[in-house]
Amino acid sequence: MRKHKSAKLTAALAGLALTAAACGSSGASTGASSSAKAPAHITIGTLYSGSGSYATSSQPQLAGLEFWISHENAKGGAYVGAYHKRIPLKLVDYNDQSSSSTAAVQYNQLITQDKVNILVSDFGSVLTAPAVTIAEEHKVVLFDPTGTGTSFFTPGNSYIVLTSLPTSGVWPDPLVSFIEHEKISRVAIVYDSNDFDASQATTIKDGLTKAGITPVVYEAVPTSTTSYGTIISTVAAKHPQAFLELGYPTNDIPFLQNLQSSGDHFGMVFTAFPGQLHSLLESNVGEKGLAYTFSYGFPPQISSSKVSEGMTTARFVSAFGHGKASNVNFLDVAGYQAGLVIEEALAHASSLSQSALRAAVASQSGKLHTLDGSFDINSEGAQLGERLPVSQMLPANGATTTKIGIVYPASAANTAVTYPAP
Amino acid sequence: MPPASHGPKPVPSRQGPAGRAARQLRRLGAGGISDVGAVVVPVAVFLAAVHLYSNELLLLNMLVYAVLAQGINVIYGFTGYLPFGYVAFFGAGAYGASLSIIYLHVPALLAVVLGGLAGALLGALLTPLLRLSGAYFAIASLAAAEAVYEVVSNPSLASVTRGPYGINLVTAYNQSLSYDAAVALLGLSMLGVVILRRSRFGLALRATADDATSAEMAGVWVVRERSLAWLISAALAGLAGGVFAWAISVFYPTDVFDLTISVFAIVFALFGGVGTTWGPLVGAVVLYGIYSLVGLSDPQYFQLTYGLLIAALVLFLPGGLGSLTRGLRGHFKGAPGGAR
Repeated sequence: MRKHKSAKLTAALAGLALTAAACGSSGASTGASSSAKAPAHITIGTLYSGSGSYATSSQPQLAGLEFWISHENAKGGAYVGAYHKRIPLKLVDYNDQSSSSTAAVQYNQLITQDKVNILVSDFGSVLTAPAVTIAEEHKVVLFDPTGTGTSFFTPGNSYIVLTSLPTSGVWPDPLVSFIEHEKISRVAIVYDSNDFDASQATTIKDGLTKAGITPVVYEAVPTSTTSYGTIISTVAAKHPQAFLELGYPTNDIPFLQNLQSSGDHFGMVFTAFPGQLHSLLESNVGEKGLAYTFSYGFPPQISSSKVSEGMTTARFVSAFGHGKASNVNFLDVAGYQAGLVIEEALAHASSLSQSALRAAVASQSGKLHTLDGSFDINSEGAQLGERLPVSQMLPANGATTTKIGIVYPASAANTAVTYPAP
Repeated sequence: MPPASHGPKPVPSRQGPAGRAARQLRRLGAGGISDVGAVVVPVAVFLAAVHLYSNELLLLNMLVYAVLAQGINVIYGFTGYLPFGYVAFFGAGAYGASLSIIYLHVPALLAVVLGGLAGALLGALLTPLLRLSGAYFAIASLAAAEAVYEVVSNPSLASVTRGPYGINLVTAYNQSLSYDAAVALLGLSMLGVVILRRSRFGLALRATADDATSAEMAGVWVVRERSLAWLISAALAGLAGGVFAWAISVFYPTDVFDLTISVFAIVFALFGGVGTTWGPLVGAVVLYGIYSLVGLSDPQYFQLTYGLLIAALVLFLPGGLGSLTRGLRGHFKGAPGGAR
């Protein structure tokens, strides 16, 4: 009797183990040969920040991705080359509330429970960081729209693709040239202590030092900084010609507000996000606070003339922004761009296996030209195809608003620079 | 034919190992079996769970919170000291383990142990806080946690702690082994609480919690016993931090010094019932389970659910779920309440 019971127990355990094994083997890395039945839909998993420091940046990125999905689904789905047909796209998204530890569990959930075919990371380096290891461990390709931390891209890890921007360490190259070009010799740099901003600060400092310029201020502040009054006064005492503040939107907004109320004036003020989230910055800082501020230049302000895939800038502004350029920001474009790279991967992959998707992405490097520019990645998955010009927010419509002008380099410029700022 | 004898009938030796085990279990009594079960059952369940539910990181977080809740149990359940800044030990453990891997190149398992040691060392440094009590102690521990966070995340210390730029342990990453380590740690924490409940040390702690002066007059060395409980609790949090760092492999100071970790651990412990063996574990499993069901997809509803649960707990079950089972046991025995 006891033997019979133990046999039953063993059988039950074996059954459970087999079930578990079956569940495990049907993970996200499941390959789909062309002879197999096509899936009912392609599942795309991503995270967004519904609240917290990164919410204002994360939500436009998600909106861009959702726009691409709805656009493809309107055509019957994305074309999947392995099955020679269009397959509808399904989005699974979780709110990580700007917490990277919550994000880690949710990335794991997308891979192990939702078994997504395509994994897309949330906005920025902080929320992308946990996904890098998890994706590599599960051998799932991570489509990374804006996580530009240089440490993510290593020779040993082929499971990451930066879809939109170059790594943050190379962003400021044109900015350094611009400072040299304008013969600015006294530069103050205040940057947030995180990978994204610190790597930009390092590039600027190294570039300036090479040009014989030693920054008069080179100071890190916590990413949580929202009060810049004392910092501005300290910097003003050093009389710099250029004040570069490198942070996230939640830093740029209080910085520009504090600068406006401080009464201090600098010939050049640079922050990173007016070029990306112009409407957000202008609605919070006002036209006066934003006028003559320098930033990076991003699509849709920069129009790419050569578009081989997806919408042109004008069409995107028309369809996504209902014809108003101010309704569209760079992060909308970055989300849409991630979709375009996924579209190419699905179209050219020999199967839905992760290795086939990664190989398909690599095969399109250098061939794909979108409204975001050329998609060109290295073997580690880092984007090389983009260089960010220097832009300036210039008064427009009788100084009731500002518009973004590209001022440097000359090959990309569409307006004259105003330096020093009046 | 068994030999005839007077008095209690001896168990025949030919019953073999099963008989001997039964005899040992009888000697342990119902309480002993329950204590053995308190260690073995959770370990077995979590070892099996990973084969049935593949989001290992979610299960690992549940384990980490269960250990933290047991750590709160040790210090709050047995001494009455409620450290709101408990997360400081967790963060110290995470950084202790990570820096051991980065600079000393020790194996990850040893690094976790060093993480526990880092937690205990910080606990030793903060022992003077035990001179305070009640709300003063809670707030002082919170301030201490904030101070530790500011030191660790200071950009000027980036060459030592990596400052605010976070830790990357990709080379040491091993999801299954770190999970097994977390399960072992849960077993260790359960065993620790079982020993506390059964030992003179635990009794002394509870006596000091009830009335420190009387306990001292009865011969309990209050300061030493309380400090020891504080260090054990800190070491448990340090070990949990070490395992967490190993499992997650990429993290920032804000992740491991997040006050929410303290709040969760305290709420889980209170929900299950402090001073009990199972309470904190049940609290962590139930509440983190709710989190995994609701919080992953709809964190706003999860916070609402949590808020309602905590309000209900405070209003109707201030002693936690543990008090409910004690009450039921007492009801069936015809006696009010029951022994903890």
